[in-house]
Amino acid sequence: MMFVVKRLLLTIPILILVSIMTFSLIHMIPGDPARVILGQEATPEAYEALRAELGLDKPIVTQYFTWLGNVVQGDLGMSITDRVPVADLILQRLPATIELTIGTFIFALIIAIPTGILAAVRRNTWIDYTASFTALGGMSIPNFWLALMAIIYFSVENQWLPSSGYVPFSEDPKANLMAMLLPCMVTGLRESAMLMRMLRSSLVEVVHMDFVRTAKAKGLNEVRMVLGHALRNALIPVVTTSGLMIAGLLGGLVITESIFSIPGFGRLIVESVFKRDYVTVQGAILVSAVLVVVVNLLVDLLYAVIDPRIKAGKGAEG
Amino acid sequence: MLSSKFLKTASALLLSGALLLSGCGGGGDTAAPSKDGGAKAANSSNKVLNIGIKADPPSLDPAQSTSLYDRYVQNSLYDKLFDVNEKGEIVPMLATSYEVSPDGLKYTLKIKEGVTFHDGTKLDAEAVKFNLDRYRGEGSKRKGELKFITDVKAVDPATVELVLEKPFTPLISTLTDRSGMMVSPEAAKKAGDDFRNSPVGTGPFTFVEQVKGDHVTLKKNENYWNGEVKLNEVNFKVFTNQSAGVQNLRSGALDILDEVPVKEIPGLEKDPNFEVISAANYGYQGIHLNMSTAPFDNKYLRQAFDRAIDRETVVKVLFDGYSSPANSPFSPGHLVYGDSDKSEKPDAAVIKDLLAKGGKPDGFSFTMQISTSPANEQFGAVLQNMLKEHNIDMKLEKVEYGTMLDNSEKGTYQAMQLGWSGRVDPDQNIYDFNVTGAPNNKSRYSNPEVDRLINEARSEQDNTKRKALYDQVMEILHDEVPYTYIFHNYDRFGVSKKVKGFTYVPDGIIRTANLDKE
Repeated sequence: MMFVVKRLLLTIPILILVSIMTFSLIHMIPGDPARVILGQEATPEAYEALRAELGLDKPIVTQYFTWLGNVVQGDLGMSITDRVPVADLILQRLPATIELTIGTFIFALIIAIPTGILAAVRRNTWIDYTASFTALGGMSIPNFWLALMAIIYFSVENQWLPSSGYVPFSEDPKANLMAMLLPCMVTGLRESAMLMRMLRSSLVEVVHMDFVRTAKAKGLNEVRMVLGHALRNALIPVVTTSGLMIAGLLGGLVITESIFSIPGFGRLIVESVFKRDYVTVQGAILVSAVLVVVVNLLVDLLYAVIDPRIKAGKGAEG
Repeated sequence: MLSSKFLKTASALLLSGALLLSGCGGGGDTAAPSKDGGAKAANSSNKVLNIGIKADPPSLDPAQSTSLYDRYVQNSLYDKLFDVNEKGEIVPMLATSYEVSPDGLKYTLKIKEGVTFHDGTKLDAEAVKFNLDRYRGEGSKRKGELKFITDVKAVDPATVELVLEKPFTPLISTLTDRSGMMVSPEAAKKAGDDFRNSPVGTGPFTFVEQVKGDHVTLKKNENYWNGEVKLNEVNFKVFTNQSAGVQNLRSGALDILDEVPVKEIPGLEKDPNFEVISAANYGYQGIHLNMSTAPFDNKYLRQAFDRAIDRETVVKVLFDGYSSPANSPFSPGHLVYGDSDKSEKPDAAVIKDLLAKGGKPDGFSFTMQISTSPANEQFGAVLQNMLKEHNIDMKLEKVEYGTMLDNSEKGTYQAMQLGWSGRVDPDQNIYDFNVTGAPNNKSRYSNPEVDRLINEARSEQDNTKRKALYDQVMEILHDEVPYTYIFHNYDRFGVSKKVKGFTYVPDGIIRTANLDKE
């Protein structure tokens, strides 16, 4: 428990650092929101007026502290372009991305665990080579292409699944799952490649360890030996990779979100950067940083579950 | 032995995966996606039209709107004082007629009676006055379009008088767009700044909801003044990836797509279930040449650059014919369109001569800023090769749109590829770009004669005379080349054959009032 509290306290300086970096980076990009909002129709007066209205005429340090002061009170501010609270925008977009991330992860596991085990057990056979080849393909194929092909096959040629039409789970669970199946499958396939490779190589390593050799000598068959002894020990690096993967997916599903027209969190960040919606970018990145911290914390806690020798907080090396 | 904790975790994970698979996969057959767009299934009496648009509409309040995508939705929510028909002519809408005083300083508008807003309040002269005053007021993005109006008077419930500071012929045409959209005064007063998120008009559809970045849903206005609305619901869905948009059109999730990528057109046209409706809109694309800095402070080098561009080839290579060559800001839809738009094939001898006159007989080099998109990259590369033939070395600098606007404002560029979406009145395609000190005069061009002619055309009521004035302007612009016009954009709508009553209007906006769906 102390560990969790300590970790959570540690996130405060991280978040402040992230916010300062985001704030400076977005202000460093040329182009300002007033100009982007007004477009080519801007008159100089309208431009100045809008800058003043958005508080952009104040010194940047003042802008930062005003923003920080509000955030501490739980107010992420108003979106510059949409004029709705940033918190609302984030809450509107986050569920879809979390669902997409979980779905992707589940698909990735369903594919990666059996193939990874099979490739490790039957290493250097055609099964292993086929699995590795497919994994390499999965990592190399551009996601947008795979997504378009999936839409053409599953929605256009055969009308099995909808090509778009995200609805929140709370509104219509069935329609929601139907709409999310295809995107989760497509990204899950890609993400499984990395997990499968990771699982295979760490299993191969574990299989050569003494305790496994002993088990083998005792006459345990290979499959039982892998499932019963080796798999658990091989899972540590897989869990680490999964943590990184999930953290990455939470903000990095932009392409999937735009092809399947899912109003997700990744798109919110990218679109806001293009619109120079500073306030939304800052809020979203902050939330994103919190998510990464939380995922990493969960991964650390999970190490202890997988291998009781590891005390939470001591890291995977323990 | 496996620890029970681990077993639990692993089995829970696998189980939830399997549940997801079986739950959804099983439902796949029974609940195949409805042809009316994925989630929101529709029965036969409930006609739902789904329109795919390329970007999110940021503000549905006409006073705050600056995006084309706003206008798509707004045209279903609001009626305007005037409208444009498929021939590009201005026709009455909420204003039934108008009269202009001989000096061009007073416009008298007759307002249609018996029209109510979605909130039940009445449209009358007072409401029109409220709207125009709101658009002319502080903080309105429409202020510039209406700046010559000094007063709006509600003479009687059905008559409005507009008093102008000086004659401004484009006035009525600006009332066919956002400046002419009538919002409910009651609702606007009540909502204040939030009106953009809770719009109320008199249009064929009423506002239901907008999920930012995803969709806007509108439903039928049961009391529409201009005939029965046939559709029950219209959804504008954001598809930032247009290739995915095309597949959604084919799967039935969309009925109309606003911008079909050129490479997808042949495939879609072969399919008997769809048609591609394509025509020139009011816009143009081309290149600003910065006249305040080398090399384009030199007229001969601007001419050499301009003459080296083979517009026919650009159109053929990049758009497969889905755009037309341009040499003026006026499209085929404009009443002043004509010979001034014709261009010639590049002539190597002429270009060589111009380079020599410009003091660069061996050619010159410069950098062009162009916004980042695959289509623009192609465009840049095609131009680069054309210019190379004549020893003009063009480097490309890919700049993101927001940055480009900033650079154009500061003048930190040599050449810049930036077009204009176009407006109904020709004045709105030329004035701000070429008159000395005007807001969009990115080339920093100044010629008193051009200023005089464009201003005269702005107050001229007679179209033949206006055309003659613009022809004179174009003659000077072709000689001085502050901007190289290259092609006229075509709108490319992908439309399902199930949609009935689709007519293309050259302002490029879909009119949903008369649409129906089988």
